[in-house]
Amino acid sequence: MIDYDYKRPDSLEEVFRLLQEYGPRAGLIAGGTDVMVKIRNTKKAPEVLISLRGLTDLAYIRKNGHYHIGGLTTHRMLEQSELLQNELPALYEGASRIGSVQVRNVATLAGNICNAAPSADTAGPLLALDARVTLQGPDGERRVPITEFFTGAYRTVRKQTEVLTEINIPAHMEQFGSAYWKQSRRKAMNLPIVGIAVSLRLDNDTISDSRIALTVAAPTPIRAYKAEEFLAGKPMEDAVLAEAGRIAASPECCTLRDSLRGEAWYRARIIEVYVPRMARLAAERIKKTH
Amino acid sequence: MKKVSVSFTLNGDPVTADVPVTWTLLKTLREYFELTGAKEGCGVGECGACTVLVDGKAVNSCLYPIPEVEGRSVTTIEGIAEKDGTLHPIQKAFLENNGVQCGFCTSGMIMSAKALLDQNPDPSEEDIRKSIAGNFCRCTGYVQIVESIQMAAKLKE
Amino acid sequence: MPDYLFVGKSIPRTIEADKVTGKAVYINDLRRPGMLYGKILYSTHAHARIKRIDASKARRLQGVRAVLTGRDIPDVRVGFLKDQTVLKKDVVRQFRDEVAAVAAITPEIAEEALSLIEVEYEPLPAVFDPIEAMKEGAPLVHETDARGRPVKSNILPLPWKFSVGDMEQARKEAAFVTKDHVSTTWVNQCCMGTSGCVAEFDQSNNLTLYSPTNVIFGHIGRISEYFSRIGLAGKKIRVVNPVVGGSFGTKLDTDIYEFIAIQLALNTRKPVKILFDREEEFRALPPRQPAVFTIEQGCDREGRLVFRHCEAVLDNGAYTSWGATTPSVMIMPMSSLYRVPNVYFKATCVYTNNIYAQAMRGYGNPQATFAVETSMDSLAEAAGIDPAEFRLINRNQPGDETPMNLKITSCGLEECIRAVKERLQWDEKKKARQKTRGLGMASLIHVAGGARVTKSDGHGIMVKLDEFGHVDVIESGTDQGQGSPTVISQIVAEALGVRPEDVFITFGDTALALWDAGTHASRHTFMAGNAALIACAKAKRQILDMAVDIIPKIVKLNFKRMKRKDPGFAEPDLDYGLIADPEDLDIRDRMIFPKKEPDHPYFRVPISDILRNGLHVGIGESRVVAAEAFYDPPTEMLNREMKGNLSMTYAFGTTGVEVEVDEETGDVRILNLVAAHDVGKAMNPTLLLGQIYGAGYTGVGYGLTEEIKVRNGRVMNPSFRDYQMLTAMDVVPIEPVIVEPDDKDGPYGAKGVGEPGLVPTAPAIANAVYDAIGVRIRDLPITPEKILTALKQKKGGMNV
Repeated sequence: MIDYDYKRPDSLEEVFRLLQEYGPRAGLIAGGTDVMVKIRNTKKAPEVLISLRGLTDLAYIRKNGHYHIGGLTTHRMLEQSELLQNELPALYEGASRIGSVQVRNVATLAGNICNAAPSADTAGPLLALDARVTLQGPDGERRVPITEFFTGAYRTVRKQTEVLTEINIPAHMEQFGSAYWKQSRRKAMNLPIVGIAVSLRLDNDTISDSRIALTVAAPTPIRAYKAEEFLAGKPMEDAVLAEAGRIAASPECCTLRDSLRGEAWYRARIIEVYVPRMARLAAERIKKTH
Repeated sequence: MKKVSVSFTLNGDPVTADVPVTWTLLKTLREYFELTGAKEGCGVGECGACTVLVDGKAVNSCLYPIPEVEGRSVTTIEGIAEKDGTLHPIQKAFLENNGVQCGFCTSGMIMSAKALLDQNPDPSEEDIRKSIAGNFCRCTGYVQIVESIQMAAKLKE
Repeated sequence: MPDYLFVGKSIPRTIEADKVTGKAVYINDLRRPGMLYGKILYSTHAHARIKRIDASKARRLQGVRAVLTGRDIPDVRVGFLKDQTVLKKDVVRQFRDEVAAVAAITPEIAEEALSLIEVEYEPLPAVFDPIEAMKEGAPLVHETDARGRPVKSNILPLPWKFSVGDMEQARKEAAFVTKDHVSTTWVNQCCMGTSGCVAEFDQSNNLTLYSPTNVIFGHIGRISEYFSRIGLAGKKIRVVNPVVGGSFGTKLDTDIYEFIAIQLALNTRKPVKILFDREEEFRALPPRQPAVFTIEQGCDREGRLVFRHCEAVLDNGAYTSWGATTPSVMIMPMSSLYRVPNVYFKATCVYTNNIYAQAMRGYGNPQATFAVETSMDSLAEAAGIDPAEFRLINRNQPGDETPMNLKITSCGLEECIRAVKERLQWDEKKKARQKTRGLGMASLIHVAGGARVTKSDGHGIMVKLDEFGHVDVIESGTDQGQGSPTVISQIVAEALGVRPEDVFITFGDTALALWDAGTHASRHTFMAGNAALIACAKAKRQILDMAVDIIPKIVKLNFKRMKRKDPGFAEPDLDYGLIADPEDLDIRDRMIFPKKEPDHPYFRVPISDILRNGLHVGIGESRVVAAEAFYDPPTEMLNREMKGNLSMTYAFGTTGVEVEVDEETGDVRILNLVAAHDVGKAMNPTLLLGQIYGAGYTGVGYGLTEEIKVRNGRVMNPSFRDYQMLTAMDVVPIEPVIVEPDDKDGPYGAKGVGEPGLVPTAPAIANAVYDAIGVRIRDLPITPEKILTALKQKKGGMNV
């Protein structure tokens, strides 16, 4: 039968102390929308759940040169942030399309990426926005680019004793337009069949810099580097964007597979179609905001 | 099984629950307080039938660990009508406009609507649909639920 | 138009206020003293021999009160074809097969106990495709029939066959012929309230079963048959409905979990509750099953249908519930949707090792109508006739008798088709075509005045009035959320002359109610309404009989009082002839009055005065008002040829859809959906719209998104996350159109409307998709993947 103890520390120090005390017998819980479901479905739980919800000062969205988002920031806060909506729309779109209001009210950004599902809705936008994550442990903190954060399906570089305290998006992303598309059969309460996040910067009508990120396109959320390289220095034209979409959808960039939610060929088709569409949208957004 | 003693405000009253630490808010409401208005439709946060308000925000009580309720304020469907039985405008509107059929989703649906209207008294149809996207209903096709919430917004004015 | 006070008005659902305050008690909320919690262990194989079951560890777990396997209970067969036992002892034939059950003091302990039961299986060859299962040499799902005789084939002994006219001659006469293959898939009813029941025996082994079934008396029949085989013959069975969290076909049959709860309760001498979780609801409740159709139709040069020929194969799954009888309903649209003189329909149900099937809203009608109406579209195109015009040419009309002998009385089909055309601007948009946008329509016929699927299609009702003028109605039907408490209160109030808020209705209790064939087949308003009219007429007569005696007494007593107060009071000269005969009196809005002089200053009295004065009189004179009615309409059961006028009247309707298709992604967007329904009389327009919206939405899900993915017999998407039922964000702009032809048989002219909205939606979408992009998807649901694949085939090798 499921049994565990539940600790609610109110400081990071206390969290680290508990993590050290219980070692592998402990598990972290934030909003709980993944952890509680997993416990129910597997009927297995760690001996101790250490809740991070007491760390209320880790819930924030700030712009201070860079963009700083506390690990405990809920998706609802992201969804309701005008700053995000105006300046980092891809992340706004990713956050606002997870689950329901009820889920977004408690589910945290750190939770979404530490769970590291290949389908994580915020992972694509964060990859397209050059995010870095701050991991704090008993021996101090380290910063990891999001591109190096995911090591496999449901696996990350986070050590058992570390807490993801902040997501940092560099100031230069201000110059980029961004957009995220979540392909799903219905309009809400879904995991993406495939997710496409694009950010780019234009020099007149030339694409000077771009990021293309994909979810459910590989065991981890990924960047489509080859497609980005192809776009560099090219004009914002239909044929160019279509080719970028084709490259992004090809084995050069992703390892698509058939699953219950979608077949590989269909995922490839959606990537092909939506890389250009999201690029267009991202470009429009630059013009609008800058 | 480890137990926990959790004190919080429930529908305006201070309460303490002594329950196993593994219980969710939903289980505590239904089994400890015998408030069975919030329903378990899926148990994993996918249907919204268990929606209640914690500090004014709509949450799936089926995923809400009971220890997290300490010191908070919980509102359930049983706590929104007046003490004299006068229905809340949302409840009234759901009856007036056929926002209820089998009624199993209704408690959660009304609580989602309440969270919305408390924050946004004049929501657009899009706002309403977004706020109840996590509340499944098989009977109504949502049309008259959306209309009921629109009607409630008018009644509240 | 008669001047009704309540009928036809949008009376709010105030009678159901408990549902908006959390007070309503569903099966989930029901608790009985000492109640135990039952859980079921399911098979982990699609087809296997049970070599060994060891439940000893589970039995030793603290808190467990009973562990049952197939060896612990009588080996009794249940179900429509008696093809399964309650717990499976030797062989499992599907993943959901029940192999053991536990009762414990908490659900958690029961769950834990299940994990301690060891079962060893020896896998057997399985078959999952009904077409494969029909072939010689396919693994047999059942080796013997219900009587233990060996069987040679997986084909069910239910030969559904209908044949009228001369098919060979008709084929020759047809100027245009099309032949199509059409298929539909598994869909789950998705009741928001999961299934469950509480079984409780008294000391003398009489059973009370709290069950959400919509066929309460059918339940008694099936359980009493089971009782007779387990040594409980003659025991009283009472079935009581809690508040029901949706039905949609799931609650027609007595499910295996209910028999298990009964066995656990019998074994433990305690009330036992079994409540499904959502995953169980997806895995272990019989859904709507898949069907494949080969349909061929022909018409003459003028577009008149000459013949319709269709063969269907239904995946029955491993056992037989009502799913196997859906062809009896399919015959209706096959033979009677549009005028068609020569019809052949044959349906074959086949055992497989898949989950077995039940019915869902519309029974077999949505599947069959998907076949008929997508085929109608092909044929219209072949004949070069506009699809709407083609349907008008062939429309059913009042006075028709169809090839299966349905007698069409009122019929608003023409009006429905025309309304859809007009609202969608059909002709204008067909002329000024926009690329990737398209229009489609489909119609329906359904029973709307009862459905004689059992020998009695009766419905009983009892009405009594207390001395305060409150009316208690004991309804034999059930309330699963369709709005009947409000509609029946409107009918009773109108017929008796009281107000809807004076009417209190008890549903779903076999100990109180008379009898009813079940709240299915969209029959409740029609049947209960007609029964209520008869009972209310009787009760009203009783009241008026009393009034004839009592009004003069009241008047004279008043005069006496007045005289006492004012000795000069002169008694007016009244014409007592006005109230001498009950026929001369009427009741309306709680008041009794003479028909000839409704506002008579002395003869107009409150109904409660009569009731009170009738009751509190004296020995031998006291009277109460109570009446009952059992309405069993003059309809026919289907005969051996599958013919018979099984309903008093029929519903018609047409759904029209405008879609936009994204040719790059295959996504379909519904821009407009017009649902025109012939409802006879809209008893409560707001509630009526609720039925049309709800059924329409489910129909859109059936058309575009919903499917239970079953792979090698296993349900792969048993959750709301992965089963794609629509959310509030999936906006479908539904515009209902209410068509009200005068129906002589309906209560106040009403027809049934619960199921129709679902029936034509999916084919209308399919037809609109074709109109938009020129590919026909004849396999539900119409997914983006199927559209892209079809587009690729059409364009010949485009890279998808």
